[in-house]
Amino acid sequence: MITFGRLLLRQWRNRPGRALATAASVAVAVGAVVATWVAADASRAGYRRLTETVEGVPSIDVLARGGGRFDVEKLPALADVSGVRAVVPLFYRPTILRIGSKRVREIAVGVDAETLVSLGLLTLTSGRPCLGPDEVVLDTALAASLGMRLGDDVLFFARRRVSRLEIVGLAESKSMRWFAEGAGVIVDIAALADMSLALGFIDRARVVLEPQASRPHALEEIGRRLPAELLAEIPAGRSSMAEDVLHSANLGLDFVTGLTMAMAWFIVGNAMLMNVTERRRGFSLLRLLGATGRQVRIFVTSEAAILGAVGAVVGAAVGLVAAGPIAAGISQTLQAPDAALVVHPLIVPLALILGTAIAVAAAWWPAQEATAVDPLEGLSQAPPPPRGVPLRFVTLAVGLWIVAASIMALVLTERLPPQAAVPAGIMMLLAFVATTPVMLPPLARALAAFIPHRWRIEGTLAVEHILRQPVRTALTTGVLVVAVSNGIGLGHAIRDNVDNVRGWYGRMMRADWLLTHAGMISAAAAGEGPKTKTAEEEVRSLPGLQSVEGIGVATGRVAGQACVVVARDISADKPLPLEPVEAPEADVRQALARGEAVAGTVLARRTGIKPGDVVAVEVFGRSTKVRIAALVVDYTSGGSSIHLDRATARRLFGIAAADILLVTAEPGRAAALREPLAAIADTHAMLLRSFGDVRAFIDSIVNGVVGSLWAILGLGFVVGSLGVANTVTMHVLEKKRVLGLLRVVGMTSGQVTRMVVLESLILGLSGSLIGLLGGVTTALFIQLASQPLLGHPTSLSFHPGIVAANLAAALAVTTLAAWLPARRAARLDLLEAVSSE
Amino acid sequence: MSILRTEHLEKKFGAGNQGGAGVVAVCGIDLTIGGGEFVAITGASGSGKSTLLHMLGGITRPTAGRVLLEGVDLASLDDDALALVRRRRIGFVFQRYNLLPELSLVENVSLPLVLDGMSDARADEAALAALETVGMEHRARHRPDELSGGEQQRGAIARALVAKPAIVLADEPTGALDSVNSRRVVELLERLVAERGQTVILVTHDAGVAAAAIRTIRIQDGRIESDTHGVPHGLHTPTGGGA
Repeated sequence: MITFGRLLLRQWRNRPGRALATAASVAVAVGAVVATWVAADASRAGYRRLTETVEGVPSIDVLARGGGRFDVEKLPALADVSGVRAVVPLFYRPTILRIGSKRVREIAVGVDAETLVSLGLLTLTSGRPCLGPDEVVLDTALAASLGMRLGDDVLFFARRRVSRLEIVGLAESKSMRWFAEGAGVIVDIAALADMSLALGFIDRARVVLEPQASRPHALEEIGRRLPAELLAEIPAGRSSMAEDVLHSANLGLDFVTGLTMAMAWFIVGNAMLMNVTERRRGFSLLRLLGATGRQVRIFVTSEAAILGAVGAVVGAAVGLVAAGPIAAGISQTLQAPDAALVVHPLIVPLALILGTAIAVAAAWWPAQEATAVDPLEGLSQAPPPPRGVPLRFVTLAVGLWIVAASIMALVLTERLPPQAAVPAGIMMLLAFVATTPVMLPPLARALAAFIPHRWRIEGTLAVEHILRQPVRTALTTGVLVVAVSNGIGLGHAIRDNVDNVRGWYGRMMRADWLLTHAGMISAAAAGEGPKTKTAEEEVRSLPGLQSVEGIGVATGRVAGQACVVVARDISADKPLPLEPVEAPEADVRQALARGEAVAGTVLARRTGIKPGDVVAVEVFGRSTKVRIAALVVDYTSGGSSIHLDRATARRLFGIAAADILLVTAEPGRAAALREPLAAIADTHAMLLRSFGDVRAFIDSIVNGVVGSLWAILGLGFVVGSLGVANTVTMHVLEKKRVLGLLRVVGMTSGQVTRMVVLESLILGLSGSLIGLLGGVTTALFIQLASQPLLGHPTSLSFHPGIVAANLAAALAVTTLAAWLPARRAARLDLLEAVSSE
Repeated sequence: MSILRTEHLEKKFGAGNQGGAGVVAVCGIDLTIGGGEFVAITGASGSGKSTLLHMLGGITRPTAGRVLLEGVDLASLDDDALALVRRRRIGFVFQRYNLLPELSLVENVSLPLVLDGMSDARADEAALAALETVGMEHRARHRPDELSGGEQQRGAIARALVAKPAIVLADEPTGALDSVNSRRVVELLERLVAERGQTVILVTHDAGVAAAAIRTIRIQDGRIESDTHGVPHGLHTPTGGGA
């Protein structure tokens, strides 16, 4: 209908501010969603890059469900699974090498070396891949430590025979890390299996994935193809910490993205509601002249669609522009330069559809309201009467609480995956917003009591304005409630996580110096044992030492679950480096000395292991029973770990070597040890770091992830501010007539400014206080949701700094947001204001 | 022939669902209005005359009783059906003109037709004809804020007439006009009745305006106090409204 279109155009021309503010609200909302989406993608890409740096090559293992070797014939074709780059059968064999008079315990790994080299999965520093039964490739560092060169022979002790093998190639240590599991010797797989009387059998098949492949999807597809006796799993020990960080951070990103969506909804919903409320009189006239409800509804929703589309176009552009620096900042923080601006091709079209759809959906309720406008209202010169809190809001809040609590209970009892906690958390926050209309009146009145007496009139009017439209006010405060809840809840969760990880490293790595293998500090890293064994002897012979603690790590399996086995020296004169759950430290120490083990809480949760259980632990094909004395809070391999005293590990599993050496100097002699330790590190191709270096390295990883989350949280706050500013502006536009009348009857411009600012401040404070409640609940929610992931109860600590920062930011935002509209209100043309319809 | 009939019409405000006392604005009114009648409803402020008019126009539903417009019981219609009746069979004129400020006069006048699905061109044509009837065709393209109060009210009358309604209901149409403009408006209404046989019901508290009507119904405390028929003495000295 042309006249309706004309009416719409004329209304926009008459009140451009209202139409612009409505479109701006959609732009803010869409911009927020686009920026958050792009920033979250940049974070994910950064995390992936971080994971790859730590992990090397992303892969999935296929192994026998009951443990031990399996017939390679049982392995189905997997090369055609989406994202699979190669399938690498692996055969491990503990062996003894004899070089001259020296005997060295080693782990040999059987592979098709030629294929690995051709695929770029194994890099040789010299020579060629081993091809036949009489050839061997050695880790370059191992060869150097043994003084071996290309063309030399070694005696290789296997079950069938003792073979003389020629060293035909030397492999780069780093390129072996992803498949060798600590082994330093590479032999042709058929030859090694034959020497071990196990021809045709393998220990596992490592499925190498393309860098961009989705590991969960590949895992699912591979699992579907395997026969019952085989299973697929993500290899433990090599990537788990990064994987876990990625997993938790992804949950965080999902949560923040969801909340941004919720905020976008509030902002647009509020704008649409105000846009309609302001024109109630016009709609009532239309109804009076015979417009049907449907016609009014179409009018309102068409307008919403047009403004929504315009806002979405602007918002998508602004969001992309804003996301650039945010993504670049995140990439820099994560030290992953490749991860800068990743724009998913669907972002822009989806943003446009989403913006329009949200605008239309958000206008639906106001359109219903407009339809229900009493025709008499248009005839009345009085403003519509104040409206109560609709019962449906309370019902909605209660409903959301019940659903959120139910989902949470299912997550806690592990009937639902931890990811389900994300929508539950969002629902819970929405429930808080839905209860706002109920909580707001007493809160606003209580806050108004603190307004100085000389501003009594302004305060009284401000409260009256707030309470006149409780639903709309609730939507305005809803934006703040979400922003503050988000900031406080996630802020606490982030702080607690960081504190936990740092505390754990502090316990695990308490020493002056650390000697590790190149590239990284992670107890999950497989080490090249025999080399460090020599290094350990050399370190122990240095003067000025208080203690040397060795940590050896091997991958293993417990109750069908991949895990890492950590063997470490437990010094009697140092605090226990583990954090037992509900068990006295002294008892755990004694149990470890007796030859018992402790299990990480995550492993215990996954396998059902309890303290007192005797479990079979399989390392390098050897299965040994061990008693679990207690559970410990641990982040090694994401908590999927078994810890033993080093002597026990040597006896039960042959883990003799230390992958990490923690060196503590006598008081005042730490600096003097740097030089001799550096010399040992050089000799054994190891990395020497001070405790401060390690802390800095861990901090850089943790800070990167945390920084990206903070950046996106900050973005949420900026969006919240824009939303509040927009809402306050619209609010002032809507009240033009009332403000004009107040000025006519003698209110000064200063009083009008104060009244608008006070109104905004009361809204801000109320929203912040409700947000504080929501934030504490969110923090508790996240803490509860993380329990199934961690397997142990976590404590919720209160960080007043985070609360204060959020509240201060919210108040600053609301005051600033109100200032310009307030000044504008104070300068209203009185004649125009009082004559405005 | 009767166009409009009420039976035991009653309206209570504030009675609530529990059947509390509330305020009785209109009580047991039985009324029959014939085609081509010019009826003035008068009474003091708060007597219930406007409430009666709102019920006659299907703006407010009665608490009890019936309003039959051309034999159709308005109370039996749902909101949208009532909207259709208002759009096609009733023309409204209000004290405050109530033109949409965003639209030109001709667009305002054509609105009921456009709402009824008529093409813009045809609606415009009809609107211009209605404006001609009230002598406002020369101001057709102006917006309400460019017109005087009297001009706006004549425009509002044109809007009330454009759909050729069975009845025109005018609620204090001169209440916001000066005496000259009041006179013009009432003359216009008189002419509509006389020349086109249009049924007009006018609510006013102005005895001068009421004198223009053929029939005068006086309401007191929600009841008909008197219902007098007579020859109108013409519009001689309406006292006019305020602004």
